[in-house]
Amino acid sequence: MKTEADYYALFDAYQSGQLPPEEQDALERRLAAEPDLAQQLADFNELTDTLYGYGQRLTTRRKLRAMQAALDAEKAATEAIIETGHPTMPIMRISRTEQHLREFWSSHRATIAVAASVAILAVFATLLGLEMWRTAQQKPSLYGYTVLRREVERIKRNQRAMNKALTLMDEPRPNEEANPGKFSGTGFALTTDGYLVTSYHVIQGADSVLIESRDRQRFRAEPVFSDVAHDLAILRITDPKFNGFGRLPYSFKRGLAELGERVYTLGYPREDLVFNDGSLSARSGFEGDTGFYQISIPVNPGNSGGPLLDDRGNLIGIISGRQMDVQSAAFATKSSYLMRLVDSLATAKPAQPYNLPRFNQLTGNTRPQQLRKLQDFVFVVKVYE
Amino acid sequence: MGKGQPSYTDEEFVAAIQGGDDRALAQLYRLHLPMISHLVLQNSGTEDEAKDVYQEGVMVFYEKVREGSLELSCQIKTYLYAVCRRLWLKRLAEKNRFNGRLEDHEPYLETGAEADVDQAEERDQRFATMAEALNHLGEPCRSLLEGFYLQEKSMQQLTAEFGYTNADNAKNQKYKCLVRLKKLFFTHYKEEESF
Repeated sequence: MKTEADYYALFDAYQSGQLPPEEQDALERRLAAEPDLAQQLADFNELTDTLYGYGQRLTTRRKLRAMQAALDAEKAATEAIIETGHPTMPIMRISRTEQHLREFWSSHRATIAVAASVAILAVFATLLGLEMWRTAQQKPSLYGYTVLRREVERIKRNQRAMNKALTLMDEPRPNEEANPGKFSGTGFALTTDGYLVTSYHVIQGADSVLIESRDRQRFRAEPVFSDVAHDLAILRITDPKFNGFGRLPYSFKRGLAELGERVYTLGYPREDLVFNDGSLSARSGFEGDTGFYQISIPVNPGNSGGPLLDDRGNLIGIISGRQMDVQSAAFATKSSYLMRLVDSLATAKPAQPYNLPRFNQLTGNTRPQQLRKLQDFVFVVKVYE
Repeated sequence: MGKGQPSYTDEEFVAAIQGGDDRALAQLYRLHLPMISHLVLQNSGTEDEAKDVYQEGVMVFYEKVREGSLELSCQIKTYLYAVCRRLWLKRLAEKNRFNGRLEDHEPYLETGAEADVDQAEERDQRFATMAEALNHLGEPCRSLLEGFYLQEKSMQQLTAEFGYTNADNAKNQKYKCLVRLKKLFFTHYKEEESF
């Protein structure tokens, strides 16, 4: 009985053609008759073929490696020649980290680009969204028409109020001294004994109104009457410690002012009294509203309710708003409407009569003199909601 | 053949490589490296990966030529490009970095290279199994068989090297080793095939 190794010797000889002819014939006959033996031969062939192939593969690989190495060496050599050819040329060496960074960049640049564009989109979407949200939050006003009451430190206060509401739910409200007010505008004295005029939109929705004079004196006031159509409001000081304004230096004009008249206003667009002047540019207001003048005074939020005076010290109007899309177009309620309102109120016999000033002390004075007399009669109107 | 840098046509290349001319192979190797290097670098690969892929691609081509079974229906350049492209796609898929699109800069044609690559892969598999089996074989069988089949030493040389008394002894030893290798090889091979 032959072992498998013996058969392998036989197969080896058979494949290389070294068998004597009669043995070869015998083997071929057996192969044809015995499938097992044929399978063994096939396995033997596959094995030796694979071995030879594997050997060749290794050789070829070595060859190719050598070729690559030769190419690399050649490249390095040419580079070296270039370097010696230009001794002053700086040698570009890439550090390990830079190499890594470059690889990272080359393999991830598409992803990075996508991420960056998404980030940019997100930023702009957020900004636009916030802007839209804010405009939606603003009280709707007429197209391009902006009322000029000032929202005092709106955001800061909102936040503070929220915090307070959350933490001090049950505690009493902080006293008014600490509270700067939600909105502020300007107002001015109507009579010596405590009537004031301001714009309706300043006190709109007010819980309480506080008047602050230039010397920081504060008086509590209450709305007496308001005229929404002409954006007028009349306030009365109710504070017991109040004892009159003193004699008013200006008088109220009952007629219409002339086109082109030089006019000026005083107001509190910020913490201090601010003067501005200009001319009367039209005798009708926004979209032809005949209750208003158009004036070319630069006014700001907080100017609302301020007095509009002409050169001779006549009060001709009350600042109300401005048009956003037109250069320096502000609007002021005509004083004639204020007078009509006061007259109608006076006929109703109020508790306190309306003693309007009859004489004008400003006529003929220079502008600074007028302002010095005027400044004590212009107030900040602070509104709490 | 001239000296220095002989230039070949495609047919001459195939004929020369089939005839075992290593200079032709080196020339071919040098000729198309930049193309593949560009392909791989353009598609999120590195210089080293490019060389690897190119060597594998040339290997496929070389083995087909040596077998004489290459049916070239296009230029060698196009064939190599197709093979390397295919190989690189596979690498990318393994690395999970393939986004379904490759930036081609050469005309890509159906050349039958795909089938050749698959075939080569099967052969790679077999060679890997063989290497595995040889590793498990143990000494001195492994050195003997490697000496005979891989390094193509003669039986006389091996007899002297391993200290056998005569060539017949060495031959018998070799056959015994072959039987053992066969068992290892076929169990591994069949196992992997049944996957």
